[in-house]
Amino acid sequence: MMVSFLALGGRCFYLQFFKSKHYIDASLRQQRSYKSRQPQRGVILDCRGRVLAASNKIQIIKAEPRIIDDPKEVSSELAPVIDMGAHVICKLIVDRKDSGHVRIKAGADPCECDLVKRIHRGIAVESDWQRHYPTGRLAANIVGFTDPYNRGLEGIELKYDKQLSGSAAENIFFADVRRRPIRLKQQEGTLNNGVGIILTIDSTIQQFARDELIKQYENYEAESAVAVVADPKTGAILAMVSLPDFDPADIGSTDPNNFRSRAITDWYEPGSILKPIVTAIALEAGVVNKTEKIFCENGNYRGRGFGRIGEYRRGFGDLTVREILIKSSNIGMAKIGQKLGKDRLYEGLKLFGFGYRTGIDVPGEVDGLLRPPDTWDGYSVTRIPFGQEICVTAMQLTRAFCILANGGRLVRPFLVRAIVDNNGKITELKRPPPPVGYIIKPEVAEWVVREALTGVVNEGTGKRAKLEKWQLFGKTGTANIARSDARGYSEHKYVASFAAGAPADEPAIVVLVSVRKPNRALGKGYTGGVVSSPVAAKIIERTLTYLGVRPDKERQLFTRLRNQR
Amino acid sequence: MSQSRFVFVVFCFTAVLILAVYLRSANNRIFYELCAHYAEQNRLKQELGSKQLLLESLINPAAISQRAGESNTDD
Repeated sequence: MMVSFLALGGRCFYLQFFKSKHYIDASLRQQRSYKSRQPQRGVILDCRGRVLAASNKIQIIKAEPRIIDDPKEVSSELAPVIDMGAHVICKLIVDRKDSGHVRIKAGADPCECDLVKRIHRGIAVESDWQRHYPTGRLAANIVGFTDPYNRGLEGIELKYDKQLSGSAAENIFFADVRRRPIRLKQQEGTLNNGVGIILTIDSTIQQFARDELIKQYENYEAESAVAVVADPKTGAILAMVSLPDFDPADIGSTDPNNFRSRAITDWYEPGSILKPIVTAIALEAGVVNKTEKIFCENGNYRGRGFGRIGEYRRGFGDLTVREILIKSSNIGMAKIGQKLGKDRLYEGLKLFGFGYRTGIDVPGEVDGLLRPPDTWDGYSVTRIPFGQEICVTAMQLTRAFCILANGGRLVRPFLVRAIVDNNGKITELKRPPPPVGYIIKPEVAEWVVREALTGVVNEGTGKRAKLEKWQLFGKTGTANIARSDARGYSEHKYVASFAAGAPADEPAIVVLVSVRKPNRALGKGYTGGVVSSPVAAKIIERTLTYLGVRPDKERQLFTRLRNQR
Repeated sequence: MSQSRFVFVVFCFTAVLILAVYLRSANNRIFYELCAHYAEQNRLKQELGSKQLLLESLINPAAISQRAGESNTDD
């Protein structure tokens, strides 16, 4: 008797003090059921409040194959209700026999859901968030996309995934024997919907840029193309187009190469489009002056340590700095590079932002390539001034031209204007503080823009970009692509670029267009002046009209009248 | 006297009990109605959201440009 009581006491002691946690957990597991509440992912808007990405709740009809005994019967019962073929439903159930559940229909309407709930054990209705991209391909390379679990995978969706996601909450219920909730026990975590993000992109300008670029991209059967439109005063990116692009509603069948935003992920040797930047550095350093004539060797410049440099077409004699830019003389630029010397050239290019990221709010940005001067040789100091031996991104080039257009003041490009909470209240302004200081003197920048680069459009290689209403400034670039076998440059593959801005006396926008590998065999041309400058001109014309920028004549008249008063 | 007091006490007690039951059920009903309205409000909000998205997909610059292009081709 004593032994039995002792054994019973011992067992009770063991259960109470050693196994209590196990049984408490088991009991709670039995009593409780858990239901996770997913937050609504934040919206992404353009600068005018147009929706670029938003989440909405949809009803999903699901089947649980493991508890469906007769898939044929369930399918034929379900088919007329949700307007799907019975064989399709049956196949979905049978193919996923071992999985927990299978999605039959997403986006069912409330009537269908009511009818479905009455049908059969094994068919259920659940609600879930679905991401929508109303503008489709238009801003897909910037906005990015999410996976089926609403996690950001590309673009702004990836960069701001944490803020857009918000935080989930879990409701814990007391449940009956069939796991149906009886009443709420407690809530773990707080449900916070994701915040909204306002971009600097304007969908209308984005559409102008895409519209014009895609025509030329298809017309010249190019490999890829980018266009960037920026406000030179603030650095706000108004449009950033990358082709080929993708449809965010059809990710599965898209080549992953098309996901990236090429304006920040692809680097290339810029070619002649870099010449105004180097010229500005040289003028700032005082190694050349605006009236000085430089002998351009009649198109054949040779020397020990830097090989032979030729011109694109015919040779030139004596040219001023302005004429070097207008005629896009390689030899003139090589001589400017030699006068500047490698250290000053390197420091100047670094100040303009080459060789490191711009810090724009899209993932995947690359640094470009600007080798330190101790690795340069005689070739480098004569080739970099006309855009070889240096690799840049389209965004870096845009920033450099924005600096010129902004009177030499530093510009930092940005894409996210503000973050707003669920009530539309701005919680964080993302616009970077106005940068302090000048990269080059305002008079140098103004001379390069108003005298030299307007000359390129009026009388030089960028004539096709000339507009009637506004005076453009710009520079063309036709860069040979280096051969993959490292044996010099290809004579058939080019990057045709054009960087421009307008109005020249008070730039409101800067546009960069780069078309990679236009098909030369078509016989339509392949240079920056032929392929890219008309695109940039049309983008500028449409954008300035849209922004309400007065034509030059009207503006001058207005200024004159104001001064008379 | 004492009988009428007893009846009065029983009456009051019963009335209080009935009131308590009524208040409790009213509370439950109001709570249920609140939840139902809250759910309805959420449903309407979602419906409005989906309509807004539909509208956005129709009036965004890309869609307008595409439709303009199509109508030009038809002409």
